Amino acid sequence: MSERSAPPTPAEALAAALNAEYAAIFAYGPIGVRLSGSARTDARQAEAAHRRRRDALVVQLSTAGATVPPDRAGYTLPFPITDRASALRLAIEVEERTAAHWRAALAATSGSDRDQALDALVDYAVRATRWRRTAKITPLTVPFPGRST
Amino acid sequence: MVLTCAVVRGTNAQRIDASRHSRRNLLRTGGLLALGAAAAPLTACDPFGREEAAPRPPDPLRPLLDESLALAAAYRDAATAHTDLAARLTPIAEAHQAHAAELAGVLGVDLPSAGATPGSSTATDPDATIADLRQRERVGRDGAVTACAAAPAARAALVGSIAAARATHLEALK
Repeated sequence: MSERSAPPTPAEALAAALNAEYAAIFAYGPIGVRLSGSARTDARQAEAAHRRRRDALVVQLSTAGATVPPDRAGYTLPFPITDRASALRLAIEVEERTAAHWRAALAATSGSDRDQALDALVDYAVRATRWRRTAKITPLTVPFPGRST
Repeated sequence: MVLTCAVVRGTNAQRIDASRHSRRNLLRTGGLLALGAAAAPLTACDPFGREEAAPRPPDPLRPLLDESLALAAAYRDAATAHTDLAARLTPIAEAHQAHAAELAGVLGVDLPSAGATPGSSTATDPDATIADLRQRERVGRDGAVTACAAAPAARAALVGSIAAARATHLEALK
């Protein structure tokens, strides 16, 4: 992921976060199918968190008169979901990727918009840690959540 | 990230150069800023109104750097005292040390060598040790969240990642 030379506007950063939320919601469909028990419940709750932020962003961007990017019919998954292990790996990746988009929105925003971005970054970083625990992947944490390197 | 640090340093240096010839104005502004910020209650009690004599406020990221170093030391000490916890605690110690290194780069200060920062005394009971570390992470996370809200754009992402990292440490120690 390369850094842009010109910083995005708040609306551009939030639109990018919205696209990431669309993709996350899409990904949790096939993820949930491969999980059972408490892991499936966790997947439902994670998906609900992404839906809440998606809905809030749509309202927020529309109210501000900004362009609301449309949801797409499908999103390319980074690898095929064939079993529980690959579903958990994707869940970790989904949280990390959406965290990265919200992290990118921090610099572009201030005030309540930045609070909102930080809240999402923290939430998704913690969810990624929970998924690593479920998948028994160690270490459970990364030094700089949301940073690509 | 090296690039980011260099850019940030360059920006600070330019600001200092640009305002060198109006140092007095800068000092006055600093005094006024302090008046409007944390020093306000103190200033109100100062019968002599000596805002200009007040020391320059420390960089707001400095407490975050000191905290990262103290947390890294606390985790290292805990990992040494409880070897069965080392696999869980060592990556977190390394994360705090990495945060300190990044913050030192942004602040343009030298990072004290590892071990120079004394950790707190480690409890003999592993559960008490974890509880103590979690409490420190909770305080640290809240401080980083506050710092992120107030940070200039160039620092917001780094401070935000530090806040998120501290939150994940809390989760990892559950």
